[in-house]
Amino acid sequence: MAKITGKCWVASDYVMAYDIIIQRFWTSPIDKAENAKWVMAGVAEEFNRENGFVEGGFTFIVAAHNFAGGGKSIEHVVAGLMGAGIQAVFANSFSRLQFRNAINYGLPFITCRDLAKGCQTGDELEWDTESGTVLNLRTGEAFHSVPVAPFVADVAAEGGLMNFIRNKIADGSIHELH
Amino acid sequence: MIPMTITEKIMALNSGRDKVVPGQLVWVDVHSIMTMDYLGEQCFKQFRSLGVNEVFDKERVICVSDHLVPPPNEQFATMLNRWRQIVKEHEIAYFYDLGRQGIAHQIMVEQGHVLPGKVSIGTDSHANTYGAVGAVGNAIGVTDAAVAMATGKCWFRVPESVKFVIKGTWQPYVMAKDLSLHIMGMMHWNGHLIYKTLEFTGEAIEALDMAGRMTLCNMTVDLGAKNGIVAPDAVTQAYLSGVAKGDWEMIASDPDAHYDAVYEVDVTNVGPTVALPDKLDDTVPVEKVVGRKFNKAFVGTCTNGRVEDFAVMAEILEGKQIHRDVNMIVVPASQAVYLEALKRGYLQTLVEAGAAIDTPSCAACAGIHTGVAGDGDIVLSAGNRNMKGRMGSKNAQIYLTSPAVVAASAIRGEITDPRETGTY
Repeated sequence: MAKITGKCWVASDYVMAYDIIIQRFWTSPIDKAENAKWVMAGVAEEFNRENGFVEGGFTFIVAAHNFAGGGKSIEHVVAGLMGAGIQAVFANSFSRLQFRNAINYGLPFITCRDLAKGCQTGDELEWDTESGTVLNLRTGEAFHSVPVAPFVADVAAEGGLMNFIRNKIADGSIHELH
Repeated sequence: MIPMTITEKIMALNSGRDKVVPGQLVWVDVHSIMTMDYLGEQCFKQFRSLGVNEVFDKERVICVSDHLVPPPNEQFATMLNRWRQIVKEHEIAYFYDLGRQGIAHQIMVEQGHVLPGKVSIGTDSHANTYGAVGAVGNAIGVTDAAVAMATGKCWFRVPESVKFVIKGTWQPYVMAKDLSLHIMGMMHWNGHLIYKTLEFTGEAIEALDMAGRMTLCNMTVDLGAKNGIVAPDAVTQAYLSGVAKGDWEMIASDPDAHYDAVYEVDVTNVGPTVALPDKLDDTVPVEKVVGRKFNKAFVGTCTNGRVEDFAVMAEILEGKQIHRDVNMIVVPASQAVYLEALKRGYLQTLVEAGAAIDTPSCAACAGIHTGVAGDGDIVLSAGNRNMKGRMGSKNAQIYLTSPAVVAASAIRGEITDPRETGTY
């Protein structure tokens, strides 16, 4: 169906949730635009300023092991990434807490082994959301990602878990959750 | 019947299924939902935005003030006022606010809000603690909490199970925390246990009291696991008797259940263990770091702020003085813990030794208040995380260890093996 094209930022292993949103913002309201202003501030020095990451204009993050790990459950992490224009994160593995939050917000966290080895920051990628294929337009190399589960796709299609549940409450099908 | 692990059984039982398999996504009935002062207001707001006015069960949405109390500044005082207002508006039956407070995970277990065979969730990462009583305890975000407050349900991916068989006999001054740190060193922080259930079994687990089981399950989140669990037994039964808010039944893994991996640890060979600054899995036996100086000592948190922890400290510090170059802060995990430690005289012993006692809260563990670390501080902590900046300044170092090691070391002002305490 859809193909999404855009610039990627390539991370290493262990990009931690508490570096994506640094400590002084943990008690801030969850707000995509607000959380985006300082998102990734603790991950790299170049992002440690207002709109530092947003101004990079990235569409994808390509990470390796345990993206957004470190045991913080705060949703500012996913909200901030979405606010910064990120449309998918590819990694070898994700932290459980943020993987959940991403599904609930409708931001695809896609398992795609070794993509980080075939990309540099700034490369244009093309992601085929249906087949899961990720093409690096600079090198021409293609990578295969794990397809999105039906429940996850349903939630994303309705704009996140809140809308998904809201719609079920409205149409009376909420009791059918199984 | 296909054999199942305890976690699979709990997921099946509470989702109206005969069986579940790892990887399956299921909507599960939750027994209780915990939220606390710094995320709770947002949970209620999100919940209201679903178009629902009343929570699914006013006795099963548990509200706790722990991160921000007592408020150290106007911002937090104002947040707390809004929090109190929103809890009141929703007529929540159990609200553990300042005066009746405690760290949420301690409250959930000691007040009987989590039960064997049930699923409980909380908006804080250490909700894994609930596995100590044989519940599936999970940390969730604001969105999941809002949905569960409205529906009494939460979606889960059924996790693969990994079994830890803990054999042998606990040695003097070796605590559950030492085993936690030992496993952290062995399996690595957020390593290949990501998303797994860790099931703790074996004679050394059966010998462990509830406080120790809570410590062990608590830190499974820092291994990257989904949950940690100890099957209910006579210890669980005795602990829950009189406090359990609801009925429950014994539940256990089938003997032929499938595990992705089984690890054995002989606790006889585990000694006091220390995690070096910045990385939780950079652990060493205490002998390797004996003599290293530090200036702050901290014992409290949902990991190690219980009566049993203070008992060991009081035994070590009885009649001794904390070194003048060390500031020790001790924070009981709840008012109930505080009162019990007071009655038993442990707090008197600690104060006489030169420790400062603070009112129950998450305290400096989250770097928010009550003794945060400044530039140049070297902290010896019985908490759960030691990454840079965790307790305040990024220019502080945090060693993590057991309450026994903290107490013994505080006397000398340098890291000390608690097994040597009788020798000087």
